[in-house]
Amino acid sequence: MKRLLSVALGILTAIGGFVDIGDIVANTETGARFGMSLAWVVVVGVVGICLFAEMAGRVATVSGRAVFDLVRERLGARLALVNLLASFFITFLTLAAEIGGVALAIELATSVNYLLFVPVVAVAVWLVIWRVKFDLMENVFGLLGLALVVTAVALWRLHPDWGGLLGGAVHPAVPQGEGHPSWWYFAIALLGAAMTPYEVFFFSSGAVEEGWSRADLITNRLNVYIGFPLGGLLSLALMAGATLFLEPRGIEPGHLSQAALPTMLALGKLGLAVLLLGFFAATFGAALETGLSCGYSIAQYFGFQWGKFVRPADAPRFHLVAMVAVAAGALLVLTTLDPITVTEYSIVLSAAALPLTYLPILVVANDPDYMGDKVNSRFTNALGTVYLLLLGVVAVATIPLMVLTKAGS
Amino acid sequence: MRLTDLLGAEVVDQAGRSAGKVHDVRLVQDGPLVGGFGAALRVDGLIVGRRAVGARLGYERRTMGGPLLVKLAAGWLRHDGRYVAWDRVRAIEPDRIHISGSADDLPRPAAPQ
Amino acid sequence: MAGRVLEAALQLLDRQLVDKHGRLAGKVDDLELTFPEGGGPPQVTAILAGPGALSRRLGGRFGARLEAVANRLREGDDDHPARVPFAVVAEIGSAIGLGVAKAELETDRLEAWTRDHLIGRLPGAGDAPD
Repeated sequence: MKRLLSVALGILTAIGGFVDIGDIVANTETGARFGMSLAWVVVVGVVGICLFAEMAGRVATVSGRAVFDLVRERLGARLALVNLLASFFITFLTLAAEIGGVALAIELATSVNYLLFVPVVAVAVWLVIWRVKFDLMENVFGLLGLALVVTAVALWRLHPDWGGLLGGAVHPAVPQGEGHPSWWYFAIALLGAAMTPYEVFFFSSGAVEEGWSRADLITNRLNVYIGFPLGGLLSLALMAGATLFLEPRGIEPGHLSQAALPTMLALGKLGLAVLLLGFFAATFGAALETGLSCGYSIAQYFGFQWGKFVRPADAPRFHLVAMVAVAAGALLVLTTLDPITVTEYSIVLSAAALPLTYLPILVVANDPDYMGDKVNSRFTNALGTVYLLLLGVVAVATIPLMVLTKAGS
Repeated sequence: MRLTDLLGAEVVDQAGRSAGKVHDVRLVQDGPLVGGFGAALRVDGLIVGRRAVGARLGYERRTMGGPLLVKLAAGWLRHDGRYVAWDRVRAIEPDRIHISGSADDLPRPAAPQ
Repeated sequence: MAGRVLEAALQLLDRQLVDKHGRLAGKVDDLELTFPEGGGPPQVTAILAGPGALSRRLGGRFGARLEAVANRLREGDDDHPARVPFAVVAEIGSAIGLGVAKAELETDRLEAWTRDHLIGRLPGAGDAPD
């Protein structure tokens, strides 16, 4: 019974923790402009992140080594440094976007300008990283993030034309008035939002933080294979809400409040309150994860002690990096750079950085010296190869498309 | 001297022809005893190849499984390895190592463990 | 373990150093090779770790800047990278296990400095995670 409860907790935490500001922005903007025609990208992205998160978690569990440690070992110092700089920069951008997202969620609730909350949020994020135990942190914010289920409830209450929604999803077509380059650019953004690099760093480091052993491998798989797809459904609920409300009115969401419109209209003030709680938990949780991931990636590349499972005094440079990253992220938001814009860039660049991150994971997951008998199956390898090729194409196409579409405008 | 002084250096024979670049250095543990470690690691020779190798993915070991495409790519990259025993090294300059004899009569490296 | 054969770049370089308590102590950034007095091939005498060693490997302006930062932070030392004498290496596996605690290594200087001057001064730094 206790085992069942802990598995359920893990799955629920995975669902609630799946969505972050990138998913909120990407799905809402895509729904408003392209309806459900890009829903298939969310499916592709969810399958991809399930595949590589399970692999990264398995590698960390069996070998005791987290992703970036192995990236350097397999790519060599130079290539891994390029990878580190790109991944760190993107994770840092994402961190800034999440901090901005938390502040925006609070602004929606209080009608006080979000900039005033940024320093408070930064300090709160750092305090949690400094003091709160890892699994407590994950569980609290994961479970609170489940409040986002209200988006699905709102959708249900609105009695939408399910056939129309499904039809738009299953027969993808570029809507009238939109160009193909923009469509593909948003596809890349959606993919990047679902498959951000920091998720695998965090997931694999988290496996070591929580001391997973081989007995936990099944739990790992359940969390990933059940939790992530259900989390992906929440993303699709956001996309559907935007399709129903924003697209017909031609509203292009540039503000977080617009993502809340469908829920507010369907469920009133109570629904809005629950949604804001969900936004807050999702973005705060993601701020914690990206802050820690900044620390994980730098520490694991250079080899110094990392983790919340040791005293801060025993991992000083790790905590220093995390602290500086959070402070710098807050400063970036305080320059009044629009957090939504920062989010948009971070998810697109995420998509471009994925191949170099995933290749070492795929390779090490096949190494019997590390994995023993837990190496990849043929199916996993085949799917992994397909994704690597796909991500390679995406990586090459990203910058040209960004220039061509003027970043999706 | 550092290991990285050897890695990536161009290997040149007596006639001035290049045998490629140093990809790796083979060590054998049969030197004098060193503290708690045991016998010291002694340089046995250089593994040299023409293609630029950026990654050490691990496919040199026969036990390594893996996605087929990656295995093939890695195999192609390592296909041209040659071995220079240390006693053929004549001089070491920055980025260049001079060896005795001809670049053409270098054996293949014996399969690693 | 007499006669064991290793390939330096593949099996030693960029591997994680782990001290005798299981704590992470840096990466193998480079290896020090010394020619023995009686002649013959060089031997591996030390592991070089830290910004001083890594900067040489990465090369270029970025490497030089890393080295400058490291030299400023290390207390009054001359211009050499931190070295771990090979005598303290206990085992070579997927990571390099050392037979000493990391506080005894030169490579710990930057970590110790950060602890003593920055992180260690914050309240709660010494608290074990509950």
